[in-house]
Amino acid sequence: MRGLPIALKRKQWEPLAFAAPSLALIALVILFPLAYSFYLSLQNFDLSVGPEYEFVGGKNYVEALVNDQRFLGSVWNTAIIIAPSLAVELLLGLGIALLLSRATRGRPIITALLAIPAMVSPVMAAMAWRMMFGVKFGAINNLGRQLGLLDVYFDWFATPWLSIVSVVLVEVWHNTPFMMLVLLAGIQSIPQELYEAARADGASPWQRFWSITLPLLKFTMVVGVMIRLIDLTKLFGLIFVLTYGGPGSSTETVAFDTYLVGFKDFRMSYAAALSYVIVGGVLVLTLVFLWIQRMREARAA
Amino acid sequence: MAIAIERPRVVARRAKRYRVQRGLAHLLTYLGLAAALVFFLGPFFWIVTTSLKGNEDFFAFPPVWIPPDPSLAHYVALFTRSSGARYFTNSLVISSLSMLAALVVSLPTAYAIARWRFGGGLLSAFLLVLRMLPAIALIIPIYIMCKMLGLTNSYLGLVALYTVVYIPFAVWLLVGFLRDFPVEIEEAAMIDGCSRLRALVQVVVPIIAPGMAVVALFAFIATWNEFLFAIVLTGIETKTMMVLVTSFTTGGTDMFYGEASASVVLGVLPAFAVAFMLQRYLVKGLALGGTKG
Repeated sequence: MRGLPIALKRKQWEPLAFAAPSLALIALVILFPLAYSFYLSLQNFDLSVGPEYEFVGGKNYVEALVNDQRFLGSVWNTAIIIAPSLAVELLLGLGIALLLSRATRGRPIITALLAIPAMVSPVMAAMAWRMMFGVKFGAINNLGRQLGLLDVYFDWFATPWLSIVSVVLVEVWHNTPFMMLVLLAGIQSIPQELYEAARADGASPWQRFWSITLPLLKFTMVVGVMIRLIDLTKLFGLIFVLTYGGPGSSTETVAFDTYLVGFKDFRMSYAAALSYVIVGGVLVLTLVFLWIQRMREARAA
Repeated sequence: MAIAIERPRVVARRAKRYRVQRGLAHLLTYLGLAAALVFFLGPFFWIVTTSLKGNEDFFAFPPVWIPPDPSLAHYVALFTRSSGARYFTNSLVISSLSMLAALVVSLPTAYAIARWRFGGGLLSAFLLVLRMLPAIALIIPIYIMCKMLGLTNSYLGLVALYTVVYIPFAVWLLVGFLRDFPVEIEEAAMIDGCSRLRALVQVVVPIIAPGMAVVALFAFIATWNEFLFAIVLTGIETKTMMVLVTSFTTGGTDMFYGEASASVVLGVLPAFAVAFMLQRYLVKGLALGGTKG
């Protein structure tokens, strides 16, 4: 802070007074509920049984992490949806970002158009695709039949594996634009002189990509992937509309399973415990993310 | 330099080959982008045309891709038969109120961080962690609390919740805009006898208004798109568009295509508007979770 005249020296209470309203609201609407939720997770509050509950200690957590095959299955499902989604989003996003960086005309408008899916809510994206996948009236079956690629009405959610592939396809459509935007920003921040120097030295486009673009884009890619990874652990709306966890429980994600436990079975304490297990996972991922950012800043300095 | 000592014919041939190569690369670039546009915008095109089709067009084979006589009948049906008008209004009201409230509450906090480094880096880190917090962690206690306070199926509960959940994001973006604002202008106002708060409201706000509009638009989209809190906390009168659209999934994969597609068109409309208005800020906003409620 630059030297201010004495009259403008801040009063001690001012910063606190300015920050107080939002801090108070965060305490009331986020921190208190989180504490209350932790308290609940140590009880056996079950609305389908009754309003009375008692302290059971860590029983809910033990059940979640050891015995609950459905929850553990949902951890596996979440991972198996996340891994291919991240890989395809990164590769496809990188490819489109590279194309955009080479486009000399109309780049802003094409970028804005391609970004639209990322602005749409997961529920709407899933609804549009659910109709596209529709067995009798869906665009995909109709197009396939018109082109002679399909001769039956195909059910794109018939088996667990097919469902996961369909979910990943919609997720890729929904969030590749985000990856594309992040990587495009990264590519554009690479100094052009490097490419000119490499060209003067006779480097082929391929060599320029491998030894300039990719190394300098590494951190941007890591940050983009981390953000998507953390957001993908919250996958809920997409599943709710597209498969409702089915067939069976093959596409239930951790967030969706917790929702079902809480608002279909009304086992409030157990759902609270599950949500804390998820928070633990996300917290670890967030710390990794912060650590990567710090490394990046240290390197830049 | 190497070229200068070569024979002219070789140079000319090489230049021609280079031009052809570049033209080809150009063509391939735009072909690739065209393919991307088809994949990412195709579903929107199909949804819009489907919402304008007549009922008999759904059954036609070969399929009708562009309806010969487009009609707004499905929109009328959505607004009357399925109370779409009410739910669309609900979404508008809830998003607008939360957007305004989030701005009003976040601005002074952002100011405290930008001008005084209030809380050091700690407060910023805290807000970032809140941004990562999954909504599912809040839904159980919030549901029980709202039930106790009689706030389920009310605007107030949802608006209060959205406002607070959005504070971390709004503060983060606003801090950036405030840091770019020259301190001298406020100082001048304060030397003239203006209080700090008045300087903020009357001097800073008008100048950073464009930045605040960016935050507001992101806040609007985020609350418009939010689904988990909406489906748990809304009732028959207070449903939002996101909740309405899920009610069409009950007919299996072949449902009311007309009304369902019309509701999707209305549901994605703000996203289209905002994507064009916020081009420059998309990366920053999306990275910080601007569109996730």
